[in-house]
Formats: sequence, structure tokens, C-alpha cells
Amino acid sequence: MTALLRAEHLFCTLPSSDGERVLFRDLSLQVESGEIVDLTGPSGSGKSSLLTALAQLNPHASGDLTLRGRPASAFTPQQWRTQVTYLPQQAILTGGTVAEAIRLPFTLAVRAGGSNGTEGAEDAYDGGRRRFLSLLRGADRHTADRLDDAAISRMLDALGCGDIELDRPPHDLSGGQAARVALARTLLTRPKLLLADEVDAGLDDDNAAKVAAIMTRAAREGMAVIRIRHRPPDGASSRTLVLSDGRLHGNDATHDSGSTDMQAAAHADGSRSGRTQGDETHPDGVHPDGSRAGTARPEEEA
Amino acid sequence: MNGGTYYPIDVWGLLAAMLMVVAAAAVSWRMRLGIGRTLLWSACRALLQLCAMGLIIGFVIRADNPWLVALLIVVMLGAGVQITLSRAKGVPRGMAGPVLLALVITMLLMLTLVAELIVRPTPWYSPQLVVPLTGMLLGNSVSALAVGLTRFFESMRERRDEVQMMLALGATTWEAARPSIVSSLRLGLLPTTASLASSGIVTIPGMMAGQVIAGGDPFDAAKYQFVILAAISALTLLADTIIMLLVYRRCFTDKDQYLIA
Repeated sequence: MTALLRAEHLFCTLPSSDGERVLFRDLSLQVESGEIVDLTGPSGSGKSSLLTALAQLNPHASGDLTLRGRPASAFTPQQWRTQVTYLPQQAILTGGTVAEAIRLPFTLAVRAGGSNGTEGAEDAYDGGRRRFLSLLRGADRHTADRLDDAAISRMLDALGCGDIELDRPPHDLSGGQAARVALARTLLTRPKLLLADEVDAGLDDDNAAKVAAIMTRAAREGMAVIRIRHRPPDGASSRTLVLSDGRLHGNDATHDSGSTDMQAAAHADGSRSGRTQGDETHPDGVHPDGSRAGTARPEEEA
Repeated sequence: MNGGTYYPIDVWGLLAAMLMVVAAAAVSWRMRLGIGRTLLWSACRALLQLCAMGLIIGFVIRADNPWLVALLIVVMLGAGVQITLSRAKGVPRGMAGPVLLALVITMLLMLTLVAELIVRPTPWYSPQLVVPLTGMLLGNSVSALAVGLTRFFESMRERRDEVQMMLALGATTWEAARPSIVSSLRLGLLPTTASLASSGIVTIPGMMAGQVIAGGDPFDAAKYQFVILAAISALTLLADTIIMLLVYRRCFTDKDQYLIA
């Protein structure tokens, strides 16, 4: 069985005033569909750099990445990033209204013409995703940039953002609302792996709980999530990875299925700190290949 | 030049003009504006450069040799590139090639369209027409390119979080850079469109003024001026667009990652 994302020999070397500084070297990790992985570690240890490296956004990083066994070189950078999507800590919303901000991903060429850029990597998840996109696009499949407001509203409702009006200017939103809109914008593009960089930092407990609930729901539909967090464990994740001193320490929470492939990191060295209790909240019945995806889409619950 | 009288300027005229600058510099010293030295230095440079250019153009016109005209234009292009690069702030290295290409393309278009299609001088390389045309075009493109390049890289740095966000959502480098390209094109073209709209009302543009002072027919001068202004605005936008197409990828790696050197 191939893992959703497999990363090997990850290096990150930052240029600095006195030559180069190695942030991490030769890291490996694997992620399966439907699991939520927490990534912790001291600040400056390279957690964000690790996430941007996985999304191929980090110019200082290198490594071998495969998605469902297909090497990153088989994708264009844009195709890869629609599947492995980095969500920055700071919510940046463009355009005059919340609706415009949310439509941004669908105005991009990589999503034009109903193609989701996976070049024939057909599986249930892709099919669901395509239907999902065509639903969003309504009658005219060329209206990627004119998504139906009602559809977006239903989505936001389903994602727990029903309190956010679509015609509001994004800069009027509170920090918690902006964070949830940015999260919704990314989730609506249906990535296979969401790389969430401290999305709940700076939010109050209420908003942080809402963000966690949204991610749990997405994971239940087959999306994998890696979260950088500084908050105490909220029970949403199935395991925790700790990045410190350039090394990745894994903590494999007891898992019901596919545990051999759920091995955290190649460098798991027994220092299993920061355990989280994943089992009670981990969605049962999610097959690691994500084949259950698409059976419960948010709009059907709205 | 038909009919009109021509009034030349003698050495005393130059001295008087220079005295005005000296007086302005003195006032600036008195008021501690801190621009007196620059003002004087620039005025001296301008006097020398303009006189030199006048002598050189005079020589080239009398020599009536297409190769000499080409040589002069090449020198002007080189100076144009150097001035653009020295004026553009915060721009990565290796911009000389793209700037030269943008200037050469627009200059060739200017000469083809304006000189050979609209004015049709004899001989076709008439230095009296070609050299001033090139000079006017270069003057405008050089400032537009310098402003455009400065603004583009400044904007890409300001927008770094937004660019990263867009790339993360699957944007191409072009899509991520586009807002910065648009804003730099607008800014680079602002002086050109402003001069186009205000010409004839507030200002009599330099070329038309010169023709009138030299005794030419004012209506002829107006037509000339319009052709030049129109061509320059169009070609300035073209030069700016070319430079943006050539350099926007400098903000990204070959894996479409955001990185400004």
C-alpha cells in the first residue's frame, strides 16, 4: 500500500550572514489519508520550513516527495500544490469581499476548465473532488471566477463559518473570522494534504475549537492534515511529531488500522514525547487510501 | 525652416542662465535646503552634455553617413541602459540585458513607424530626424523603465506573504506576480499619460516649443508634437511591458518558489 505522502531525505539549509545554517537534514515522514498529525517543537526549529518544503514552496529545501507513489517531478509545481496545500499562519484575504477572497483559488489557471490537475491519477477522491468543483461552478463551467454566492454560503455554514457575511470587506473581519475564512478557502479546493501552519495561534479558545472541528470534519472525509500547534493537545490528532535540533521525533498513537505504514518518522528514536490521545476522535472506517472520500461532502450536510 | 526669424543665443546668454542657477543655489544654501550642491553640479553637467550633444549631432548631420548615425544611436542606447540601472533601486543584478532589449525593440519600432512610415525623410537615415527622435523616446522609456523596475521589485517584496499564499493555492508565477506587474506598469506610465493629456493646455511641449522658436509653422509643429507624444506613450508602455515579461520570473526559482535575490 502506498502512503498518501511520503517524504524522504528532506534537507533545509538557510543562507545566513556567516555561510549557511542547516535547519534540518535527512528527515523522513509519511502521512496517510484521513489522519491529523500535530507538528510541534521549539520555535525556530524549522516547523514552517518543513511544511513549506512539503508543499514545494521552500526554495532552501530539497528532498524526495511522492504523492500516492507518484514522484513530485511528475507534477507541475502548481498541480502538486493543489494536492499538498500549505496554509500560512497569517490569513491573507485579497479582494473587496469575503466571497471574492474565497473565489481566488478558482480564478487560477490550474483549476480552469474543470481539470484539477492530477493528470489521470483517478481515484474516488478525485472523482468526488471534480463533482465538488463542478457543483461549485454551477451551470456554466467557465464561471470559475463567478461562483454562486449561495453555494459559498452553504459551504461556510457547513464549515462552521455561518456567522461570516460574504459581502463584508475582508479587513473588517476579526482575527478568528479571517483565520476561518482562509481555512475555508483552502478546504474548498479539496487538497489531499493540508499543511496548516499555526492556524489557531492568536485565536481565543472558542475560535481555536471551531478551527479544530473544521479540520476534524475534513479529515473524516479523507483529507490528511499536518498541523503546527503551540496549544495543548485538543484530541483531534492521531499522533504528534516533534521537530527539534534538526531531528524529527515521532509519536505513533495507538492506531486501529494500517499501523505499519503509519510509522511516524524514520528517525523515531524512542523519545516519544507529547503523546496525544487520537483514538477516540480519529474517524473510524477511513481507509488509508482515502477511498471513502467524497461520501460525505459538506454541502450535503448543509 | 520657412519664413520665421531665428534668434541665436550667445555665450553671455549661457552665462546669464548659469547665474540664475547659481542664485537659486545660493538661496538654497541660505535656507539650508541641502540641494544647492546637487543643483549646481547637475546644471554644469547638463550644460556640458547638451553642448557636446549639439556639437556631435551637428557633426553627424554634416557627415551624412548612416554608419555614424548608427554608432551615435548605439552610444545613446548604452547610456540609456546605464542610467536606467543607476536610477532603479532595489533591483537584482543582471538587468542590463533585459533593459537593453526593451530599449532596442521600442527604438526600432519608433524609427520604423514614426521616421520611415509617417515622416519619410530623405535620406532615410536623416540624422536631423532620427537622432532627436531616438533621444526623445529614450528619455521617456528610461524613466519609465527605472520607475517600473523599482516599483515591481518593491511591490513583490511588500506582497511576499500574499505571493506565498497564492503560490500555495496553485497560482502560477505569472498569476502571483500579476498585481505587482500591473501596479508598476501604471506607475511607470503615469508621467507619460499626464503629459499627453496636459500638452497644449498648460504646457507647450519641448519639441513644439523648439520648432516654434526656430521659426517653424506652429501648426506643423503641433502635428509633429502629437505624432511624437502618441508614439512615445504607446512605446513607453510597450517597453515597460517587455521589461516586466523579461524580469518577473527573477522573483521565483525554477520550481516556481518565491525568492528574491
